[in-house]
Amino acid sequence: MLRYFLSRLLRAVLTIVAVVTFAFVVLRLSGDPALLIMSVDAPPEAVEAFRAAWGLDRPVWEQYLRYFVQVAQGNLGQSMRDGRPALTVVMERVPETLALTLPAFAMKLLIGIPAGIYAALNRNRLADRLTMVISVAGFTVPSFVLALILVLIFAVNLGWLPSGGAESWRHAILPVITLGLSGAAILARFTRSAMLEVLGQPYIRAASAKGLPWRRVVTDHALPNAAIPTVTIIGFMVGSLVAGAVVVESVFSWPGVGRLLVVAVSNRDLAIVQTILLLVAMTMVCANLIVDMLYGWIDPRLRTARAAGG
Amino acid sequence: MARLTRRAALSVTAAAATLPRFAIAQSDQRPTVTVAVQKIANSNTLETAREQSNVGSRTFNSYAEMLIDTDWIGDLSQRPGLATAWRRIDDRTVELDLRQDVKFHNGDTMSAEDVVFSFGPERLFGGSDQGQGGTLFAAPTTTGAAGKAPPPEVPAVARRTYPGLERIEIVREGVVRFVNRTPDVTLEGRIARNVGVVLSRRGFAEAESWLAWARRPVGTGPYMVAEFRPDTSLTLAAFDDYWGGRPPARQIRFLEVPEVASRINGLLSGEYDFACDIPPDQIAPIERNPRFEVAGSLITNHRLTVFDKNHPQLADPRVRRAMTHAIDRGAIVEALWAGRTRVPKGLQWEYYGELFQTDWDVPAFDQAEARRLLREAGYRGDPIPYRLLNNYYTNQNATAQILVEMWKAVGLNVQIEMRENWQQIFDRNSPRGVRDWSNSAPFNDPVSSITNQHGPRGQQQQVGEWTNDEFNRLSVELETSTDRARRRAVFRRLLEIAEREDPAYTVLHQTATFTAKRKDIRWQAAQSFLMDFRARNLAFPA
Repeated sequence: MLRYFLSRLLRAVLTIVAVVTFAFVVLRLSGDPALLIMSVDAPPEAVEAFRAAWGLDRPVWEQYLRYFVQVAQGNLGQSMRDGRPALTVVMERVPETLALTLPAFAMKLLIGIPAGIYAALNRNRLADRLTMVISVAGFTVPSFVLALILVLIFAVNLGWLPSGGAESWRHAILPVITLGLSGAAILARFTRSAMLEVLGQPYIRAASAKGLPWRRVVTDHALPNAAIPTVTIIGFMVGSLVAGAVVVESVFSWPGVGRLLVVAVSNRDLAIVQTILLLVAMTMVCANLIVDMLYGWIDPRLRTARAAGG
Repeated sequence: MARLTRRAALSVTAAAATLPRFAIAQSDQRPTVTVAVQKIANSNTLETAREQSNVGSRTFNSYAEMLIDTDWIGDLSQRPGLATAWRRIDDRTVELDLRQDVKFHNGDTMSAEDVVFSFGPERLFGGSDQGQGGTLFAAPTTTGAAGKAPPPEVPAVARRTYPGLERIEIVREGVVRFVNRTPDVTLEGRIARNVGVVLSRRGFAEAESWLAWARRPVGTGPYMVAEFRPDTSLTLAAFDDYWGGRPPARQIRFLEVPEVASRINGLLSGEYDFACDIPPDQIAPIERNPRFEVAGSLITNHRLTVFDKNHPQLADPRVRRAMTHAIDRGAIVEALWAGRTRVPKGLQWEYYGELFQTDWDVPAFDQAEARRLLREAGYRGDPIPYRLLNNYYTNQNATAQILVEMWKAVGLNVQIEMRENWQQIFDRNSPRGVRDWSNSAPFNDPVSSITNQHGPRGQQQQVGEWTNDEFNRLSVELETSTDRARRRAVFRRLLEIAEREDPAYTVLHQTATFTAKRKDIRWQAAQSFLMDFRARNLAFPA
């Protein structure tokens, strides 16, 4: 088991290094932070002074090496826009994003999984078709379109909710619904597919044939076996909790990590971008580890296979 | 006789303690104004010497002021600001009388020492020798967030704004002198620039770092900084000791709303009172609602097409001249701006006064002349690259597409190449041809624009797109000469060179900015990006 976790950890570290290197090269070669942060109309002397102050006048490989050494020493650097530690700037935004993504995550689970199960159990009936039509619409309509439709209805026409900002819990309602609905639609589709596959298995027929009530067949035999693909999807959703609301935060002017990422990328504020990427990569890695552990808990066959393999 | 119990006495005391505060809050019936902007500040600071952007211009005017003000809503003339009068002592010296009893937001009275501080090394020129030894992710520790010295770009901006400023003398309390090293007829205009806001010396001294101060500068404006949340919001609270009278709003809240659709939706749903940066095609839909209107104004900024004369097809000035004649500027103004802007008389503005060349104009739309010039130049239809950003300027993409078609109509083969940022626009690794730009005139003299942007130290020459020996000699003369007649002649010649003989650029149209607002609020847009919320320009329905 320990070897298994160590190998996963090593793979995670390599993934993070690859992500950080790729982001550095792409961002650094595609734009000059000095011109972007100082603006094109700033005096050339000011732009040059900025470059010298931040070492942007040095070769890219040297900039990368210096950065890498700093990160290895636990220093994620400073924001070029305001000089504060990048980690401080990013962590200020994390609670704002979680205020949207956590309720949205709960909404995805509470709507998506029951809807998927309900559709599977009523396969090819009106309820199934209706659920799937809504589900397909939910994940094919881009989130910014859904967001604008919700704003037009609930903010502009009805005047019930604010159209943007982050001043009260009321401001969070529309962004949470936007995030939650699209995620619930995806989850409903996957849950339905998994359930349908399991419901066609011989052991379900065997359980029914031996006289178990249908409710118990579903809860004791179908649901646990259908849970593995659903848990995989949920794992991805957990991984996107930190920076999975980029578009929605922009449309609703929500000051979270997503908007910070957009601003940082457009300004080539590299330390901020890298810190966010590190955070996202670490969240993904942790989510994947948790999902792996859950597999073993849900499916005893996997647990015993791992134990046998060392 | 009623008995006063201990509980009743405590209740009465508590109520009495609460009452004054409640009464004060109730007495301030002034409304809060909410303004949705695309961006509050590029640099995430409120220090004008650092925040050299159009977006920063919107806010600074509410919390800080210059010695010499500009009538941005009227005729753009200079008028008393924190100085009540000023006079020339000689061609190097301007003397100013400071306004009396001006209070800073920290309660201090503005003094000559505050003026000296605001133009001095601590705020502007200090740290000039810094900027060495930083790394990509860690600036020198003495600057910015950690230290008190300004980051290196601040002295660079200051040196560009006040290139010859030698010292500021306190003549006596309430009178200061700006002394230049060299003769400069534009010194008053430079003092009127927003880098020259007067800020509290004590406010700077008491701040824990340059960054903390730059995010909460202590000025003299009608509103003081109450809260600044970078990339999110800026809340300004009324400063009732303002020398110009009690501000009409209790608070001004600037909210950062990057999406234009969200700004418009927020306005229509009643959350915002103002929505800035409205594209021209959204004016009609907004004004269909009787509760809202769009205030638009021309600003002291012109949109240009800029040429790189090093490109093989553009080396011959006749090809560039042909390009300037092929453009129907009036059609662009009508089609994309609904006639809400105009074609100016070249790179100049009326507020230049006697230097304004009334008989000058942009090259005439003349396709026959364009074709003749191309024939003479021997142009054979080889491609000319046009590097384009995605709508960095309003209507930029549509304007570019129209230009390409207009050039095509006279036989020019101009090809759009989309770019993501300015570094890619300026990249020298492949041939550059044509690009977009806009030029402002921050004060009422041509040195603020044509020499500042196209002269030897201007951006166009610094990036190696264009140069002209005669133009460079005359630029220096325009900057240093004090002979008004000679300066007028020199400016005329500069226009002839840069816009006709050896085109460096061609002016397309003046820039306009549009702000959607509640119709029942009386407010006028300025001829600049700045927004004035003083009593003289803001009133609410009774």
